[in-house]
Amino acid sequence: MTALLTDRGGRGSRPRGRPELYTSYSSDIALLNTPAKRAGVLAIVAAAFALPFAVSDQVLVLLGTGLAMSVGAIGLNIVTGYAGQVSLGHAFFVGLGAYTAAVLSGDPDGRLVGFGLPMVVWLPAAGLVAGAAGLLVAPLATRLRGLYLAIVTLGLVFLGEHVFREWDSVTGGPGVGRDAVQATLFGNSLTAGGAVLSGAQKVYLFALVVLIAAAVPARNLARSGVGRAFAAVRDRDIAAEVIGVSLTKAKLLAFTISSFYAGICGALLYTITRTVEPNSFNLLLSVRFIAMVLIGGAATISGSIMGAMFVTLLPRFTQQVPRFVPFIGQGVTGGGLLTNVELEAMLYGLLIIAFLIFEPRGLFGVWLRVRNYWKGWPFSY
Amino acid sequence: MKQHRQWPRFAIVLAVLALIATGCRDSGTTADVEDVDTGAAPAETTAPTDTATDTPTETAADTATPTDTGSPTEGTTPAGDIAFDTGVTEEACPDAVNPDNGCIYLGTLSDLTVGPFAALAVPITDAQQAFWNRVNEDGGIGGFDVNVTEFVRDNQYNPEIHNQEYQAIKNDVLALAQTLGSPTTAAIIEDLNAEGIVAVPASWTSEWAFQDVILESGVNYCFESMNSIDWAVENLEGIETVMAVHYPGDYGGDAAAGARIAAEANGLEFTDVETAPGPDNQSGAISAVASQQPDLVILTTNPTDAGAVVGNAAAQGYQGTFIGTGPSWNKGLLTSPAAEAVQALYLASGPWTWTQESPGRDAMEEALGDVDPNDGYTSGWVWSYPLKAALEQAAENGDLTREGLLAAVSELDDVDYEGMLPDEAGNFVGDPNETAYRGSIVSEPNPEAIVGLDVLQDFFVGPTAEGYDFTQSCFTTTAG
Repeated sequence: MTALLTDRGGRGSRPRGRPELYTSYSSDIALLNTPAKRAGVLAIVAAAFALPFAVSDQVLVLLGTGLAMSVGAIGLNIVTGYAGQVSLGHAFFVGLGAYTAAVLSGDPDGRLVGFGLPMVVWLPAAGLVAGAAGLLVAPLATRLRGLYLAIVTLGLVFLGEHVFREWDSVTGGPGVGRDAVQATLFGNSLTAGGAVLSGAQKVYLFALVVLIAAAVPARNLARSGVGRAFAAVRDRDIAAEVIGVSLTKAKLLAFTISSFYAGICGALLYTITRTVEPNSFNLLLSVRFIAMVLIGGAATISGSIMGAMFVTLLPRFTQQVPRFVPFIGQGVTGGGLLTNVELEAMLYGLLIIAFLIFEPRGLFGVWLRVRNYWKGWPFSY
Repeated sequence: MKQHRQWPRFAIVLAVLALIATGCRDSGTTADVEDVDTGAAPAETTAPTDTATDTPTETAADTATPTDTGSPTEGTTPAGDIAFDTGVTEEACPDAVNPDNGCIYLGTLSDLTVGPFAALAVPITDAQQAFWNRVNEDGGIGGFDVNVTEFVRDNQYNPEIHNQEYQAIKNDVLALAQTLGSPTTAAIIEDLNAEGIVAVPASWTSEWAFQDVILESGVNYCFESMNSIDWAVENLEGIETVMAVHYPGDYGGDAAAGARIAAEANGLEFTDVETAPGPDNQSGAISAVASQQPDLVILTTNPTDAGAVVGNAAAQGYQGTFIGTGPSWNKGLLTSPAAEAVQALYLASGPWTWTQESPGRDAMEEALGDVDPNDGYTSGWVWSYPLKAALEQAAENGDLTREGLLAAVSELDDVDYEGMLPDEAGNFVGDPNETAYRGSIVSEPNPEAIVGLDVLQDFFVGPTAEGYDFTQSCFTTTAG
């Protein structure tokens, strides 16, 4: 693992003060190829692990949701950002993951189907079931591209929504729902408060660990031969085929891996949200994932995480707005020109448009610019 | 090129920073408050933004222990020696009626915007705010005002959103003044039990009788349907077949379970038709009613869907009787396209209604002022009495913590409903089979009447409900 993250041989031979001079190919493509990145990532991870002891439970729940969404956003970024296959069907795979986890972990004596299995079973299973569904759908992607693929995957959301609504014994039906994942690890509940940690702290840490376990392989995938094949397919599929990339294989793989991540995301998300209702896996959820990818930055892993955090924290931000802006009312009590809920919906749209026009590389691009500015400081280039 | 690109970049960075700052805002406040706690006033003050990790019960007794270094908390507490922590503050409520009182924060999770029960939920919430305002005007409870406006959240009648909003406010409130809906409340019941948070339901499912943390009022759907069928058999002619048309889950399912039991007891043929919420989803139910022509339909939906079912079934030639449970009725049905059918075929059962005269009703009318009458108001008002009684009991016991409130609920063997329900309806001690209130009413639509209903039959208990052995909730009895 360490060998993957840092290439020690390469680092040793690098002259001091020349962070971007690489003396070997492996040091060039290492995950953390500069000392600043190593230190930065270490600091962020350390801060993320320290956070639960510094902030309130409400904020932790929100951040935990952001972490879970990040896993899903990484998944969508693999198929859409890296491999260039637009998918509006992400919500369906998230739903599959959520229900797989809920069914496998559910109370065997409860009102709905449940098997009472532990986390080691339901978490991978959620990914595998969603991944298998992705594999089944993927052949469509090998025949279609662009808008046509978007429409077909859009259909998937509606099919899924119908099945979720009607399959009462599994989903509880619309308006009723069911208990989500019963998360236990070695007999300890991951969601109930214990002697040492509160429920929110546990669930946040759980989400953080899963996110790291999901993000590192994704980043590795992106810099491997498979990732390069994805990028080739995205940039010009005919050219990719000419140079020997199997389009079918690349697209199948992209869809399957993406759906696997979506399934994990579903299981994780509903470990935090304790109830799952079948109407949740609708087009809006898919659009939110697209927004995360576009705002965060297509074809970047850190961008996916930034985008997911941004989109998850956005409602929190709009909730505060009515306190400071007189003509915007609080969603519940109403009043004012528009409510914070409407403002939130408008901001989604505006942000997507603004990012596409001003910063197509998303938050990741903003970060790159900031970084490059300070790299050359005080010279502009 | 580079020059004018800087501004959008700067603006975006600023926006991101603002967002991060906002996201962390709460944590900052909490940290500040905790600093204040440990520094200046170690004993009793715990802010409403308290974290779950930091909720040791700090009682007045603690302040008296010699280890505490001379903080004058006992003098400054409005209530003297009442212990409190989560959701109760020494500081006055925002816009307090009694600025010298402390503040008890109660949460509200209701269907306020787009959900199927918004037409009832908004009046329920308004009535509860009027109710607690009246309590505050009478001096509050044990030196505290009650605030039910600070933590009002919209659940959209969606269990998932309900649970999310509940998690977001639960550390800020002592109890829930309202948790609207049966399936929605079922989604948080486990956590309510685990945390010992007392909650007033805005629903009447039979499960609540078996939940210690739930302060229910009035007849449950199960007994209500039993009474409706018993009443119909006695008062209407030729009732031989009964159909329950209902929403899935703890609301409709509970009523249907009661209907099935009463149909069997009366030797009637029974059919069960489940229907999903939403006017577009009623075609199955409509054709079932029209094709099978049951003599009596027990309808458990929301008012809009009730209108769709009654109107369209009548248009397709149905001529039997509908009896709708409480939440299926709204005065608006009498101005809807289905008005004619509703007046001809529909009767409303319910746990109470505005037109029943009582001192409580008069107090409610006075507190509400000039509103368009609706039984949502009546329900919101009646439901608040047990919580008021429990809070008063807890204050009397000197313990306004969550444990204290829960203990007070377990002592509550009668509640003064000011005549809106019989006093024995508010008995939360002992076996639900003996204490659960089983009386419901039946009303008929009348456009001239105050909420569009005239009472046909005041509180009564039919033979089926009377003899029913109530040992577990009706819904699980039949589904399990």
